[in-house]
Amino acid sequence: MSEVREVISSGNDLAARAAVDAGCKFFAGYPLTPSSEVMHTVSDLLPAIGGTAIQMEDEIAGVAAAIGAGMSGVRSLTATSGPGMSLKAENLGLAQMAEVPVVVVNVMRGGPSTGLPTRVAQGDVAQAKNPSHGDYKSITLCAGTLAECYTETVRAFNLADRFMQPVIVLLDETLGHMHGKAMLPTVEDVKAGIVPRKTFDGPAEEYKPYGVAQDEPAVLNPMFTGYRYNFTGLHHDADGFPTEEIETCRKLIDRLFAKVDEHKDEIELNEEYMLDDADILIIGYGSASLAIKEAVNELRAAGIKAGLFRPITLWPSPEERLYELGQKFDKVLSVELNQGQYLEEIQRCMGRRDIQKLVKTNGRPFSPSDIIEKVKEVF
Amino acid sequence: MSRIVMRFTGVGGQGVLLAGEIFAAAKIKDGGYGVKTATYTSQVRGGPTVVDIQLDDKEIWYPYAIDGQIDFMLSVADKSYQLFKSGVKEGGTIVVEPNLVHPTDEDRKKWNIVEIPIITIAKEEVGNVITQSVVALAIANTYTKALDEKVLVDTMLSKVPPKVHELNLKAYELGKKYALESMK
Repeated sequence: MSEVREVISSGNDLAARAAVDAGCKFFAGYPLTPSSEVMHTVSDLLPAIGGTAIQMEDEIAGVAAAIGAGMSGVRSLTATSGPGMSLKAENLGLAQMAEVPVVVVNVMRGGPSTGLPTRVAQGDVAQAKNPSHGDYKSITLCAGTLAECYTETVRAFNLADRFMQPVIVLLDETLGHMHGKAMLPTVEDVKAGIVPRKTFDGPAEEYKPYGVAQDEPAVLNPMFTGYRYNFTGLHHDADGFPTEEIETCRKLIDRLFAKVDEHKDEIELNEEYMLDDADILIIGYGSASLAIKEAVNELRAAGIKAGLFRPITLWPSPEERLYELGQKFDKVLSVELNQGQYLEEIQRCMGRRDIQKLVKTNGRPFSPSDIIEKVKEVF
Repeated sequence: MSRIVMRFTGVGGQGVLLAGEIFAAAKIKDGGYGVKTATYTSQVRGGPTVVDIQLDDKEIWYPYAIDGQIDFMLSVADKSYQLFKSGVKEGGTIVVEPNLVHPTDEDRKKWNIVEIPIITIAKEEVGNVITQSVVALAIANTYTKALDEKVLVDTMLSKVPPKVHELNLKAYELGKKYALESMK
């Protein structure tokens, strides 16, 4: 096992530290509860290492500047909560289309609209799959522990550069603000794990940034290095210039899907807790999984064999694993702090409609006893 | 050590968050697990605020205090006291600021209610109202004996600027003194 270090902090602070350790040099955003501490920490850390952190005039400008930094070739971050995600959506569509890597941390709070600013929710899971209009394949990671606020942000930067697109990291108010111990990889290990985005180093006249294999992302050289190409939100050709040519348009959107679908094994990550000998399968993610783990322990102490399946990569979803678990387990309970946004995906992957659900949307967290009572009630 | 669960309540702006962070950090430095969560409203100042602190030698997953399991509560605002007192286990200790919090006779039968003028101590004896969170920290640790005092005080000093170390040490000593007196 590689070396670990103990850090005492909050989820938001850890996400910010992770970004800097993963090589992020640019942050632009607008402070929004309960995500503001991400901005506080990067504002301390980035200028000290020659990076830049800017408070922009609004959420839209925040993501636009972060995407601009991504276009120029640096690792770039923005952070917000639900209302900010709604405003950033259009520009995230541009980053999907133009294939610009950027990491977006969304610390979820109660919604819709301004909702419950200081309270926990997991209501942005469906939004994270398709924040903007149009067809593309989202990559969304969801931290479930303090340590993962750090490790998933690091992973997001590597995936953004690998797949050349935005990667969303979902935290929630509980994780963002809770304060405690996290065992983290060393900074040296994080830095050693950085895989920079691919670049083209042949003759400039042969450079075709979007002329790549059908299952690969664009190869976008950093700006101002002698390679010229065009960024656009319009359908575009191999040089990035707008086109309506039938085959080019078809292949472009096919490729935005295939670059993710053909490499899901590089993206998927799940945790299975006490599942091997379990009779009851509980599925949950994010901070809800903290209450589920406590409930699993208490249920087992009472002789009820429950276990947890926790997707850490929410999008693309772990389709095959969910299908297998649906075949293996008769008793399945989905637990989430929304009205069942991921439940629909679980139903689709398992091909089942008989999954029990426990939901809560009043801004309060699940307690372990909520889950224990539900398990005893339905199974 | 079995799990110790504490709750600090006040209103937004009083600075009860810091004491929770110090407790959690000190327990972790001592080799255990500590978690602090804060719940507050979207009112910037004046909204009820609750800080839950759990300390254990074993890993803690769920970060909030569970109602009925709280050993010790400290409250410096009446509306927060009324809202959150029910989480304290029967026979548990609740320290209140008597100028601001008004427990009922029923409450006094159910819990060990202790009156310590935390804000007055910070304001008049220490000389800075901001130190109330350190006064509260000292009272909580004197009652719960949750942590070795040296570890706790060192952690506290690591979280405040050096120029106010003296002031905060004074706040800690006064908090401890009043807590010990209240036990007599």
